[in-house]
Amino acid sequence: MERFTYPFSGIVGQDKMKLALILNAIHPAIGGVLIRGEKGTGKSTAVRALARLLPELTVVADCLYRCDPDAKEALCPECRDRVGRGETLPRARRRMRVVELPINASEDRVVGAIDIEAAIKSGERRFEPGVLAEANRNILYVDEVNLLDDHLVDVLLDAAAMGVNVVEREGISIWHPARFILVGTMNPEEGDLRPQLLDRFGLAVDVEGIKDIGQRVQIVERREEWESDPAGFSQRFADEDAQIGQGIAAAIVRFPTVVMPVVILRGLAELNVSLQVDGHRADLVGRKAAQALAAYRAVGEVGVNEVNEVADMVLAHRVKAAGRRELGAIGQGVSSTASRASRS
Amino acid sequence: MARLKEMPFDSSLPFSALVGQEAMKRALLLNAIDPGIGGVLIRGDRGTAKSSAVRGLARLLPDYPVVAGCPYRCDPGAPARYCDECRQRSKTGPLPVAQQPMRIVDLPINASEDRLVGSIDIEAAVRMGARRFQPGVLADANRNILYVDEVNLLDDHLVDVLLDAAAMGVNVVEREGISVVHPAHFILVGTMNPEEGELRPQLLDRFGLCVDVHTLTDIDQRLRVMELERDFLDHAERVLTEASGAEATLRATLEAARVHLPSVALPDPIRALIARLCLDGSVAGHRADLVVTRTARAICALRGGLTVELDDVLEAMELGMPHRRRDPAGDKPAQVQELAVRAAEQLSQIKATTPTENGQPVDGESAESEGASGGDATEGWTTARTQESQAREVAESEPETVIQLPTFSIKKLDLPRERQARRAAGKRTSTKSETKRGRYVRSAQAEKVTDIAFDATVRAAAPYQVSRRQASARDLPALQLERQDLRQKVRERKTGNLIVFVVDASASMDAEQRMLATKGAILSLLRHAYVRRDKVSLVAFSGRSARVVLRPTASVDLAERRLERLNIGGTTPLTHGLMTALKLIKTERLRDPRVYPLIVLISDGRGNISLFGEEPLLEAQRTAAQIKLEGIRAMVIDSTRDFGGQPGHPRSRVTSLYGAYAFNVCADLAERLGGRYYGLFDLSQTAIVDSVQREMLRSS
Repeated sequence: MERFTYPFSGIVGQDKMKLALILNAIHPAIGGVLIRGEKGTGKSTAVRALARLLPELTVVADCLYRCDPDAKEALCPECRDRVGRGETLPRARRRMRVVELPINASEDRVVGAIDIEAAIKSGERRFEPGVLAEANRNILYVDEVNLLDDHLVDVLLDAAAMGVNVVEREGISIWHPARFILVGTMNPEEGDLRPQLLDRFGLAVDVEGIKDIGQRVQIVERREEWESDPAGFSQRFADEDAQIGQGIAAAIVRFPTVVMPVVILRGLAELNVSLQVDGHRADLVGRKAAQALAAYRAVGEVGVNEVNEVADMVLAHRVKAAGRRELGAIGQGVSSTASRASRS
Repeated sequence: MARLKEMPFDSSLPFSALVGQEAMKRALLLNAIDPGIGGVLIRGDRGTAKSSAVRGLARLLPDYPVVAGCPYRCDPGAPARYCDECRQRSKTGPLPVAQQPMRIVDLPINASEDRLVGSIDIEAAVRMGARRFQPGVLADANRNILYVDEVNLLDDHLVDVLLDAAAMGVNVVEREGISVVHPAHFILVGTMNPEEGELRPQLLDRFGLCVDVHTLTDIDQRLRVMELERDFLDHAERVLTEASGAEATLRATLEAARVHLPSVALPDPIRALIARLCLDGSVAGHRADLVVTRTARAICALRGGLTVELDDVLEAMELGMPHRRRDPAGDKPAQVQELAVRAAEQLSQIKATTPTENGQPVDGESAESEGASGGDATEGWTTARTQESQAREVAESEPETVIQLPTFSIKKLDLPRERQARRAAGKRTSTKSETKRGRYVRSAQAEKVTDIAFDATVRAAAPYQVSRRQASARDLPALQLERQDLRQKVRERKTGNLIVFVVDASASMDAEQRMLATKGAILSLLRHAYVRRDKVSLVAFSGRSARVVLRPTASVDLAERRLERLNIGGTTPLTHGLMTALKLIKTERLRDPRVYPLIVLISDGRGNISLFGEEPLLEAQRTAAQIKLEGIRAMVIDSTRDFGGQPGHPRSRVTSLYGAYAFNVCADLAERLGGRYYGLFDLSQTAIVDSVQREMLRSS
């Protein structure tokens, strides 16, 4: 049952948002993206479209959590057992997926719960994995994330912080890895996010309705075309999409070889200190995002340009109201600190 | 089901590689030396390696002897704390002993009560008809570290269970036909971000030590953090191997300290000093004395000292007192300084009055230099003094609050989180929810089960499975349910208050002080509201209309920005303001019938624009009555009254600024609203906050 999704490259404008998503696909450790904006600005479309561009992952073929056979430290308990018994884990390739967390989800569906069928049929106490299990090594997408129930936010925070979902409920006691890229969309008019959850998103972008008349016309045209002939429309953008997909795949390979000069790191840290950003996540995410961007642009070494380009995505949701006024000056801030540092 | 619980350590950073945050690391290590210290609470900004440090500690924990095969890992050397089974077994002969590592047991905040306490083993019950106890997290935690990440988000009923067990050192289980008592002595380690809510004081007191961590501001340290993270992401194994040397050294240091601990001497003057300092520090209860004493000894053992010195005590005070002081600390570095001076004075006093064995006089100077050399002995650890200076740096660079209000700083307003805040958080916020939303907190028998609590149902049915199967001859599925087994899920959903500020933005509010005070009060309430997940909304009225400046939101940030932009000027359409607020609340009630609204009207009451074409004042009065009819709580803050309620102020200041009005409109409105009346300036900043909280506690 092939279901068509609107092609990623068919989205008009909103380059910042697209870039943020691509960077995450290149280096999931960036930690996701929060897309803030009005209704009807292509937020959800972009996230769903991204699914088709995502890279393939090497997974343990028969593992519920799609463990990475090469990352021993992130294996689930069962795979650990198997390795311990001397088994070679069977490998397979799977495309990374977008797993949706509906905001009306119940806690047991998110965390996982006792398998009712097994319990009734055989009296067995078995764990039925929830959304967090499915999200391991995938993208966890929460539409209208600011409307998520408070207790679900708590659960999400807990899992995101540890990269592990620990379940102690309904007679079940188990843990499994839950490392996911958190992607959320929200309309700020409906209320804001809790700062703690906000900080969990690696990047944040603000999208606005496009003001350019030509582009607006183009959006409507494309949408109409898409609705009348989804197959043909997808076909039309297949090449462009494939190109982006290849770009991502190439960037993944290139990523580890990209040089990150200490001067740049220092500039980044100084910038974050001067903006009084809480915690170190801004440093860490900034480093990764700049490096991923350099990899995507096929630049061998991260320079001021890359930092400049990702700076507002990294800082938009971390800078307090006072600092926000200075956000405009961030570009200059980075260049000046970097150049100062390089001189000394 | 295999026991798949033990969390692996290989996914966490090595403890010795963590950058900075010396106080936090030290507090954790001291607990590893002497578990009797009673754990640590780590409070701090997000993203400051709190969780990483706790996870990293797992690798450094010691092995200890346990009774082999005992699910509670009883200590063979402590018969008084045996579980029932071990006590029985010990009568027939010596118990088998095994070595086991101490470990960190996770309590996730999604835990359900049955897993925390333990409950009937479903499998055993259904298959064999055996009523067997399946130990819970508390059983695992016995003699281990119980770690709660984001401990301030833990549900209230779980906190109750935890407190009970911690207080008694045993876990008493009486449920589903199971009756078990087992030891539950655990070290409680928790991390929290204070922005997300406060911790109940009772639980706070259970933590032996408390450290506040802040974002590092040293660029070089931050660089090292970035590099460490990159290396760990790229090649975790290499980082772990590289650190293995340092880890081994640290382990050995800790082991030596543990062995050395019993021989550390605690001179009587030092004992007396600790008692005095704790008394001076105005802390509740005696736990502080115990904790400080044990911590000081562990600090001494860690530096390889023989006798506890003044500096050990000072550091122990710093770790053991922050969460116990009755008055929340203001200027921390100054306090530390002052404490050091006072302690030195007292110690010499004590020594002067009591003859001591070691006649060595200890004054502040020499004690400090000794402390520094002691720090060197345990390499890699900063001394108490460098920690102080770090703390000072952090305090100095602490970010200023966004909006500068010269007379009413938010910092001050933010302080009172005492009794009312606590009661509010505990009492008010949870309502039993009848829809299928909200947290499943426990189960109950119900007339008509609509939302089945499956686990509880199975547990209820479990003991009867064998007999039921025997009674029916046919081949049926394993689980035989009958109507009386069915259990309903009891769900709880947090519904916060909705505070609607109705703010007069007319020209008469223009007096700078007045608007500043109003803004200051609102901002401080906003901060509180976030911590307790209340929603706030802002209606401003001026000119010919009222507008909703801020739709109900829990976002402090957004509210602050809107408030900053609030313009003042024009006439006073008081009725418009009240009507808008009423409409807003009605809509909000449609969305969530359980919402608990409070109107805070801040105005001078001089309504002069008519909404329905009547006398403005009459209209306002009528609207007020209507609001009362709707069952909405309200309070009125009169912006024109100075020092109204306080005795002792000159009479001339008491009269309204608008003396021509003989009739006090605001007081009258308050009466019609069924709410209280306050003058803006007779309320100190804290009093405004308190009074709003009081209003919210009054049940409607």
